[in-house]
Amino acid sequence: MIVLLVLLLTGGLSAQTPSGAEFFETRVRPIFAAQCAACHAGKMHMGGLNLSSPANILHGGESGPILSKQKPEESKLLQAIGYQANIKMPPQGKLKDQEIADITEWVKAGAPMPEDKVAVAAPKKKEWTKAQKEFWSFRPIKEYAAPAVKNASWVKTPIDNFILAKLEEKSVAPAEPAGKLTLLRRATFDLTGLPPTQKEVEDFLNDRSAGAFAKVVDRLLDSPRYGERWGRHWLDVARYADSTGADEDHRYPYAWRYRDYVIDAFNTDLPFDQFVREQIAGDLLPAKDGGVNVNGIVATGFLSIGPRLIAEQDKVKMLYDFIDEQIDTTSRTFLGLTVACARCHDHKFDPIATKDYYSMASIFASTKAFKKIEGTVSQMYFAPLVPKAEADKYDAYLETMDERKREMALISEEEADLYSGPLRPKVTDYMIAAWRVCHLGKAEDKQGVDVTVLRKWVEYLRQSAEEAPHLANWLKADASSYEQVAKGYQVEFDAGAKAYDAKVAEWKKKGDTKADRPKPNGVNNQFFGELLMGKGPFTREGQFTEANQKRYDSLKQELADLKTNTPKEPPMACAVSEGSPVTQKVFIRGDAGSPGEEVVKRFPVILAGENQIPVTQGSGRLEFANWLTNPTHPLTSRVFVNRVWQWHFGEGIVRTPSNWGLVGEKPTNPELLDYLASTFMKEGWSVKKLQRMIMLSSTYQMSSQSTKEKFETDPDNRLMSRADRRRLDVEEIRDGMLLLDGSIDLTMGGTLQSGFGTDGENSEGRLSIRPDKVMRRTVYLPLRRSNLPTLLNLFDFGDATTTNEGRSRTNVAPQALFMMNSSFVTDRARNLAKKLVENDSLDNRRRVETAYATVLGRKPTEEEGNAALEYVRSFDAKRGGDGWQSLCRILLSSNEFVYVD
Amino acid sequence: MDFQNISRRALLRQTACGFGSLGLTSLLSAAAGANPLAPKQPHFAPKAKRVIFLFMHGGPSSIDTFDYKPKLEVYNDKPLPFKRPLTFAEGNVGNLMKSPWEFKQYGQSGLHVSSLFPNVAQCVDDLCVVKSIVGDSVAHGGASLQLHTGSNTFTRPSMGSWTVYGLGSENQNLPGYITIKPSLSHGGAKNWSSGFLPAAYQGTAIGNAGMKREDLAEPIEYLMNRGLTPDQQRFELDMLQKVNRQHAMTREYDPELEARIQAFELAFRMQTEAPEAFETEKESDATKKLYGLDKEETKDFGWQCLLARRLIERGVRFVQCSHSYKWDQHSELVKLHSKNAREVDLPIAGLLKDLKSRGLLKDTLVLWGGEFGRTPVVQGGDGRDHNPYGYTMWMAGGGVKGGFSYGNTDEFGYYAVEDRMHLHDLHATMLHLLGFNHEQLTFAYAGRNFRLTDVHGVVADKIIA
Repeated sequence: MIVLLVLLLTGGLSAQTPSGAEFFETRVRPIFAAQCAACHAGKMHMGGLNLSSPANILHGGESGPILSKQKPEESKLLQAIGYQANIKMPPQGKLKDQEIADITEWVKAGAPMPEDKVAVAAPKKKEWTKAQKEFWSFRPIKEYAAPAVKNASWVKTPIDNFILAKLEEKSVAPAEPAGKLTLLRRATFDLTGLPPTQKEVEDFLNDRSAGAFAKVVDRLLDSPRYGERWGRHWLDVARYADSTGADEDHRYPYAWRYRDYVIDAFNTDLPFDQFVREQIAGDLLPAKDGGVNVNGIVATGFLSIGPRLIAEQDKVKMLYDFIDEQIDTTSRTFLGLTVACARCHDHKFDPIATKDYYSMASIFASTKAFKKIEGTVSQMYFAPLVPKAEADKYDAYLETMDERKREMALISEEEADLYSGPLRPKVTDYMIAAWRVCHLGKAEDKQGVDVTVLRKWVEYLRQSAEEAPHLANWLKADASSYEQVAKGYQVEFDAGAKAYDAKVAEWKKKGDTKADRPKPNGVNNQFFGELLMGKGPFTREGQFTEANQKRYDSLKQELADLKTNTPKEPPMACAVSEGSPVTQKVFIRGDAGSPGEEVVKRFPVILAGENQIPVTQGSGRLEFANWLTNPTHPLTSRVFVNRVWQWHFGEGIVRTPSNWGLVGEKPTNPELLDYLASTFMKEGWSVKKLQRMIMLSSTYQMSSQSTKEKFETDPDNRLMSRADRRRLDVEEIRDGMLLLDGSIDLTMGGTLQSGFGTDGENSEGRLSIRPDKVMRRTVYLPLRRSNLPTLLNLFDFGDATTTNEGRSRTNVAPQALFMMNSSFVTDRARNLAKKLVENDSLDNRRRVETAYATVLGRKPTEEEGNAALEYVRSFDAKRGGDGWQSLCRILLSSNEFVYVD
Repeated sequence: MDFQNISRRALLRQTACGFGSLGLTSLLSAAAGANPLAPKQPHFAPKAKRVIFLFMHGGPSSIDTFDYKPKLEVYNDKPLPFKRPLTFAEGNVGNLMKSPWEFKQYGQSGLHVSSLFPNVAQCVDDLCVVKSIVGDSVAHGGASLQLHTGSNTFTRPSMGSWTVYGLGSENQNLPGYITIKPSLSHGGAKNWSSGFLPAAYQGTAIGNAGMKREDLAEPIEYLMNRGLTPDQQRFELDMLQKVNRQHAMTREYDPELEARIQAFELAFRMQTEAPEAFETEKESDATKKLYGLDKEETKDFGWQCLLARRLIERGVRFVQCSHSYKWDQHSELVKLHSKNAREVDLPIAGLLKDLKSRGLLKDTLVLWGGEFGRTPVVQGGDGRDHNPYGYTMWMAGGGVKGGFSYGNTDEFGYYAVEDRMHLHDLHATMLHLLGFNHEQLTFAYAGRNFRLTDVHGVVADKIIA
């Protein structure tokens, strides 16, 4: 109908335009150039179709001409653009109606074209616009002086100048300083993820010196608990987990070493640039002592512990999906850019070309993260943390074990054939004998029939037709037919035997010692296979022939000896190492089956420029790491200081912490952001120094009290006129409660996960360890990606499969159910109550006070105390329950505990 | 359509105007307005209001169940006459193998069903049999993930999560999305995860496939209190709320604190009212029999189906029943497919009949199928390998044509050749039936708008009644 309309409007092609060729030039060619040329012009001729010249257009593609002279309206081209056929073009979406009408009109007019002229040029090289190049986050970091402010007495660190200047601009007053208890509780949860102890509260309240809070901050930064809290922040970004998540959810048996490395890096204040370099290319950095760079190798776990498929049969797709995950996590984590959006097409919003994506892919494709990509289930690569010779020794040991086992299997299989050889022609005999035993009650005395074998036959034939449909004929046979039917089974057996022998002969000819010998059940003959495998009637029992038995026994002994002298498995890491360098091509629309232009190893052009020297040696990871941590890099330091800010204040200065592109948010205080980034680098990328600077500011120490005006004019607190109250994270809730009742186990490091590979279908092993069964800090609980504990899911832990830029903090009923009903909270309440009640030196009022002081860090008001006392009394007396336990659960569930002011 | 975000920020934004003077009442309504599970209107009038997905994990063979291929009898034991695509057990597959089961035509529609499903066959005039489903993975992990989330690689929100995100739930005392005894393998929780959607939209698992129904101590974790009487607990809750209100009084302009107070009230109601939904034993003997609860073989899946009916009756939006990883017959096809079918056939027929008699089938979409079908070529003598290139799923109720066959595979049942319905198209169609334009049901994440159907999906208009 559209076509008709166009014809009516234009009065037909020939009447409207002087020449058909011109119609092509003005109406059709631009569509081809804009919509089709990326895949069907220049060097790209997908499906064999090249739209570059009239001759080629007329020639068509692999499946024949795209234009039909006889029936133009049935031309493949029209079917494809009309989305009527299997091939729907362009794949990214149907053309506009007008475009389809134009092409249709042109085809119907006989597809007139100018002769001998290049019709469609390949698209021009991508040029970024000025606006894209000068986008705020790509600009160099500037050094801003702290702005002048009127209320200079409020300023404790330069951070305050930047914040106050904005507030004064809007005539908003900063909130009052927080009370001492509030500040201590805030700082302690912030830096350690735990509440302050009663003693810490008392010490701080009693310390009236000017530097009292600075002392607290230093004490907390020095606590090993600090790394457990701040390491966990980073582990969120690094989507840390202990299993692959995808398909069979295989364990990452050594991922915990990466987790421990991260915790340690924060505790030891490893300079952040070094931290970045190690996570990208630590295996390529020299060790301090010249030996194996254990920390460096472990750090590359960042690249290896992402979710991945290993049982995917499309191996290329499997590998490039894994690489895509690496690109996505790496670019969002360090650059705050969603480079992975450019896998199938240039980034829709940001100046990241598909070529940039594949340049990065080239780096990771040249990096080893799989040991073997073959077979049904591919193997992941794990890196030994010992010198090569030592690792090789262990590998050789494993190889010897395998060889011995293989040889034993081979002897068994050969012996099985030797044994069954003479029995092969006797299928008929045994079936007839079995029939007679079963149906005629004859004794097992047929000549030439072995009694043991016959018994197995009788057992084998005792199946129903449903269990064994291939025996249906036999089961249907009667006294008059069974002998004939038995002969038929001999024929079937012989056919299987022939196929099997041929396979074995072929296998012998190949002489591949590592290839398994063909098995009788591998020849598509169920009857044959069953007789010779498992408990089949023709399977051997008893000794092998003498020589083989001797060899077999000696191998068995050798294996046993090897096992008693098992060398210790060297420590290993889930890590990456250098792979074979890959010449990477762009994959058109992300499809590895449609390779396009070759790319070189380099970094996104918008950031690193057009004139980069491509990496030609190795994977390029080291160069990539060095580029990321170059002090002139506009993003790495900015993105990280913003994360630190967010982890202290709840929101970053840029409130989309992993997306600094066009659709990300702009910084609320760009000058402050640059001040923090440049100072951070000047201070040697020290995270702890940065945090000290932040926490000692008036900005950090404000009260969270809002006012009507602030709430109405700046509900999101973009000006930072107050602190934000926040709900505790799941780790803080759990660890905090465990600390309060004294159950916590503060052992650091190591793993609670055991075993390798995956577990049986639906077995318990597929579940994560329950967080109420172990008293370790939450950061040490193993994370099976496929089945995170309910507790973590409830309280917004995230799914540990994609880089997590910040936890959401929801408030839903199932969380309340956890507080009300879980045995975890009940256990904590019971333990707390027990301590109160068992302490004879306390009267009930003191017990209430102790409960408040333990859980909330403060004394109850008199009114609160009275109410609590009355509550306990009433609960005990009138309701026959444990009032103290109930009171403790109330305090643990209270908003005052679960929120930090 | 305005999908309310539930973050603290959004809550603040919503209540930003004139809040101070309105006090507690507006705080309460703000807290309620931010309820992510509040019922919402879709884009247009829906045909289906809820979904029951009967997941046949492992991959039932289409050509042995609903896709009748007489040609296979002729070509039995002959080589496949065209190039075999990638299979899971590469190289270990052989010639074509005819179906060991007999097919018959049933009902007014005369659709073919094999002798594996004699009871479902009685409902055939309610079925819309789609014979041309196509997926992208030959391995269980990717295939299962794609069926549930649209992606065979990445973590994305599952179809149930998208459904609840779009429609909310009609019963605030129950989760909006429930998956009964799900498999822990092949994606596990990723198959019912909300991905980057807020956690409120994730599926709630009732036990797992490894558990016996009898071992399910409580249907939803933390739902039951074992230490306190209801009276004690109410008394405790009153005290907690008093403590919390006092705390909130000195901390003005923070609706989140009030929201948490409300969450406790809602939780208390949930634990009082939700358990009733799980009391399948209260059903009549006739109903129990209809679902096969009286027989050892059918009682587990029968219980799942009956529970699904009780849940959707009470307003749960999306319920999945899983016949856990049982259908993967690389060998022993006859024996095990027979057993599997016996376990589910009667319960499924019972569910369809029960829904129909209660008037629920017309706006409940029932979806049946696995993560792929199985190859027409034999594997290892008596099995079939995975086939995602053209397989059957069926739908019933919820606005699809009954007694209708849609799409087709080639004469051997290998490739979908007619009206192909990729899993993306299935998702698009499902969302359409629920009242959504699948291209507009989006969520902004990591720099772009995501959809269940990614950049794909065509609604199969022909199957819509």
